[in-house]
Amino acid sequence: MVIHALAHILAVLLLPVLLLGILQRVKAWWSGRRGAPLLQPAFDLLRLLRKTPVYSETTTPLFRVAPWVFLTTALGSALIAPLLGPAALVSFHLDFVWFAYAWGLGRVAIMLAALDTGSSFEGMGAAREATFSAFLEPVFFLTAGALSLATGKTKLAELVSIHPHVMDGTGAVWLLSIGALVVVLLVESGRMPVDDPTTHLELTMVHEVMVLDHSGPDLAAIQWASALKLYVGASLLAALLNPWFDADGPESAVAQLALCGLIAVAIGTLESLIARIRLRTVPKFIALGLAAAALALLATAWKTQGAP
Amino acid sequence: MLTTLLVSIPVLLLGALLSVGLRANRVATAVSLAAQAVAVALVFTAVIPVLAGGPPLEVVWPWPLPIDAISFRLDGLGAFFLSWSLPLTLLGGVYSVGYLEPYLARGRHSGPHHALLCLTSLAFVLIYTTQNALVFLLGWEVAAVSAWLLVIWDYPSQNIRFAGFNYLVSTHVGLFVLVAAFMLLHSKTGSMNFVDFGLFLSTKSPSRGTIFLLLGTAFALKSAFFPFHTWLPRAHSAAPAHVSALMSGVIHKAGLFAFLRFTFLMGRPEPWMGWCVLGFGAVSALFGVLYTSTQRDLKRLLGYSSTENVGIVSMGFGVGYLGWSWGQPTLALLGFTGGLLHILNHALFKCLLFYGAGAVYKGTHTVDLERLGGLAKRMPRTAGLFLVGALAISALPPLNGFTSELLVYSGLLSGSAPTPSANVALVAAAALLAFVGAVGALSMVRAFGVVFLGNARDATVHPAKDPPQSMLAPMVLHGALVVALGVAPELGLVLVRSALGVLPWEGGLELALTPLAPIVWANRVLAAVLAVGMLLAYRRGRSARRSPTWGCGAVAPSPRMQYTASSFTASFARVLESFLPVLRREQLPVDVFPRHASKVATHHPDAVERRMFEVLGQGEEFVVDNAARIPEQPRVAFAVGLLALLVLGAILLGAGPSW
Repeated sequence: MVIHALAHILAVLLLPVLLLGILQRVKAWWSGRRGAPLLQPAFDLLRLLRKTPVYSETTTPLFRVAPWVFLTTALGSALIAPLLGPAALVSFHLDFVWFAYAWGLGRVAIMLAALDTGSSFEGMGAAREATFSAFLEPVFFLTAGALSLATGKTKLAELVSIHPHVMDGTGAVWLLSIGALVVVLLVESGRMPVDDPTTHLELTMVHEVMVLDHSGPDLAAIQWASALKLYVGASLLAALLNPWFDADGPESAVAQLALCGLIAVAIGTLESLIARIRLRTVPKFIALGLAAAALALLATAWKTQGAP
Repeated sequence: MLTTLLVSIPVLLLGALLSVGLRANRVATAVSLAAQAVAVALVFTAVIPVLAGGPPLEVVWPWPLPIDAISFRLDGLGAFFLSWSLPLTLLGGVYSVGYLEPYLARGRHSGPHHALLCLTSLAFVLIYTTQNALVFLLGWEVAAVSAWLLVIWDYPSQNIRFAGFNYLVSTHVGLFVLVAAFMLLHSKTGSMNFVDFGLFLSTKSPSRGTIFLLLGTAFALKSAFFPFHTWLPRAHSAAPAHVSALMSGVIHKAGLFAFLRFTFLMGRPEPWMGWCVLGFGAVSALFGVLYTSTQRDLKRLLGYSSTENVGIVSMGFGVGYLGWSWGQPTLALLGFTGGLLHILNHALFKCLLFYGAGAVYKGTHTVDLERLGGLAKRMPRTAGLFLVGALAISALPPLNGFTSELLVYSGLLSGSAPTPSANVALVAAAALLAFVGAVGALSMVRAFGVVFLGNARDATVHPAKDPPQSMLAPMVLHGALVVALGVAPELGLVLVRSALGVLPWEGGLELALTPLAPIVWANRVLAAVLAVGMLLAYRRGRSARRSPTWGCGAVAPSPRMQYTASSFTASFARVLESFLPVLRREQLPVDVFPRHASKVATHHPDAVERRMFEVLGQGEEFVVDNAARIPEQPRVAFAVGLLALLVLGAILLGAGPSW
C-alpha cells in the first residue's frame, strides 16, 4: 500500500516530463533529426525555475497567482487518476465530477491571467480556450456517464475498468468511449490537429498564446501542469486500452506505463504526419467526440436490455 | 411563537408608513432599516425553533366572510425561505444607502423606496407562512407591485418606464394563470385553504395534471424561466443595482417556493411531472446561459444568468420528483436538497454580483462592457469580491455553487432509474448541466476579464474608485458566506434539512449525503492549498521586475486594440448561430476613395423576444399569407388538416374515459 502510494507520487513527479520527452523525440525522428535527450523538458523546467520572473505593468496580482492555481488543480486531478492501475492514490464517490471541475478552475485561472495582460493576442487565446472547453465539457461527462452506467461504478479509476463484450453492447460503449477520450485528450492538452504547440504565429495559437507573458517559475508551473494534464489524460485512455488493468500484481502498472508511452509515440506520430485543422473546424472535431460519447451513452441502454 | 412572527407585519407596515411620512432622507432610511431589523429579529424567534427541528407552528384567526378563517402555518419549507429572505433584503437596504446617495443629493426623497423594501419583506412574511389562497394572492401582489415600483426608481427615463411596464404586464399574466388555478381548486373544494387543496390534489383526479401545469406556468413566469424570461433582462438592467439583486436573488425565489408548496400538497407525483420539471429546467438553464454569453450590458448578463440558475434549481427539483414518483428516497432527497441549496447559494452570489455591478455603475456611470476595462486597479476591493461571485456562479470548487450543483449531478448520475432509457436521459441531462457550467464559466471570465482586467478601453469613462463602506459591507458579507458555504456546505444543509421535513422520509438525507462527504473534504483541501499557494505567489512577486506587456511586435498599441467582449464570444456565437443570431448594421466604404465614414455595429437580440413580438405584431399576416397559399398546394393543406384532426381525435379519445 505504502509502496503503491510512493510509486503514484513518483509517477506524478517524474513521468509527465518524460512523456513530453518521448513525444518530442518521436517528432524529431519523424523529421529526420536525432532529437534532444529524453529528459530535456525536465532540464527546461529547472532552468526556468532558476530565473526571476518579470511581470507586465498592466497586470494585477491575479496574474502572479494564476499559474499556481493551474498547477494545484492539475496535481489534484493527478491524485485521483488511475496512473498505475485501478487503485488511485485518492478515490471517492463521483470524483470524476470533481476532476472535471478542478480542470475547469485551472482553465479559468489561466484565461483570466491571459486577459489580465491586456494583450489582444492573449485575449484571443483565452476566447478560443473558453469556446473549445465549453463544447468539450459535455463530451467528458457523456463518456464518464456512459462508462458509469455500463460498469455501475462511480469512481474515476474504476469507471475505466470496463470489460468489453461484443455481444451485449459494452463493446460499443468501450470503443466509442475511447474515441471520445481521444478527442478530449487532444483538445485539452492542445495537441494536433487542434493546436500546434510548436507554432511561431500568435494568431493561430491557443494554449501557447495565453502564456506569452508568463516567465520564470510561473512559466515552469504552467508547463509542468500542462504536461501533467497530458499524462493524466493519457493514463485514462491507457486504462481503457489496458487488458490487464484489473490485475492485482505489478503487471497492471507496467502495462499502464507502457501504454502511456505508446500513446505519447502515437501523438508524436500524429503531430508529425498531419496538419493543424482550421480554428473554425475545431468545434466540428469536438462534435465528432460528442457524437461518439452520445452513442456510447445510447449503447448502455442496449447493454442492459440485451443482457438482463 | 408564530404570533411574534406575525407581529412583524404591523412593524413593517409602520416602518413603511413612517419612512414615507418623514421628510428627512436620513431619518426615513434609518426608520425603514430599523423596522426591517426588528422584523428580522421577530421572524427569527419563530424560524429558529422550526429550523432546529421543532414542530410546525400554526395559528388560525377567525375572519369575516368571504375568507371565514385565516390560518398561518410555519413549516420547515417556509422557515428555510424566511431565514435568508428577510436578512438579505435588509442588506439590500443597507447597500442602497450608498447607491442612492447621488440621487438623494439631487433632491430625491428616499422614503418611498425604503417603504417599498419594507413592503417586500412584508410580502415574504405573508407568502411564506400563509395557508390561505386569498392571503397568498395578497402577498403575491404586494411583492409584484412593490418590485415594479422599485424597478422604476429612475422613472424620468422612458426606457426604464418601459422596462417596468413590461415587467408589470408579465407578472400579471402570471397572476391570471395563478388565479385560474385557484379558481379551479376552489370550484372543486369549496375552500380557499391549502389543507383542503391538498386533500383534493392527493386524489387521482384528472384535473390534477391541469392544475399542476397551471401552477407551473404561473410560477415559471414569476421566476423567469425560459421562454417566460423576456421581461427579466430589461427589468434588471433598468432597476437600481440592489433592486436587481433582490429581485433576482430573493424576490423571484418566491415562485420556486410556491411551486414546491403546492406540489408538496399533491403528495406522490407522477413520473411525467418529474420529466416536465427536469426538461423545463434544462431548457431554461441552456438558453439562459447561452444568452449570457453575448450580452454587452453587465446587468442584463446577470439577469439572463438568473434564468440559467432557476433552470438548474428546477433540474434538481425534477430529479426530486422523479425519485419520489419512482419510490426512491435517496434520489428524491438528492434532487430536492440540491435544488433548495442552489436557491440559497444563488441568492448569495447573485446579490454579490449585482452589488459589484452597482459599484461599477456608481464609479464609472456605465455598465457597458465594451467601454470598461482595467477597473481592478482602480477598485481592487470590488474586483476581488466580484471575482469570488463570478467563480461561485461558474460552479467552480471550492466555492458554494459547486456544492449545490454536485448534489444535482449526484442525482442525475446515480444510475438508479428503473429503466435504462431513463438512465440515459438523466446522464444526458448531466452532460447538459456540464455544458451549462462551462458556458457560464466562459461568460463570467468574459464579464470579469473585460470589466476589471487589462487596460481601460475608453478614456471618456468616469474614473472610478471603490464604493463607500455602506455598499462594501454587504458585499463582504455575501462574499464571506459564498466561501463559507463552499468549504462547509453543512451550514446550508442545516437550513435545507428542515425544509425537507415536509417529505415523507425520516433521516434519509444522511444516507443520501454520506457518499458525498469525501468531495467536501477534497474541496476543503483544495481551498487550503490554494490559499497557501496564492499567498506565497502573491508575496514572492511583489518585488519582481516590471515591463510592458509583450506586444508580439506591435509597438505602442492603443487600449482600443484589446480583445473586446464581443470578440471574446464571436467564435462561440458563430458555432451556435441559430440560437444566438447576430444583427449587423453596416455602412461599408464605397468606391476607391469613400466619401463617408464607414461603420459596423453588431447586436445580439433576444431571439425569443423578437419572435414573440413578431407573432404579436405580424402573426395574423403570417396566418393570412399561409392560408392564401392553400389553393396552391391543396395536398399539403389536406395532409395538415388530417393530421390536426387525428391529433384532436386522439386527445379526445384518450382523455374521454377518465372523465
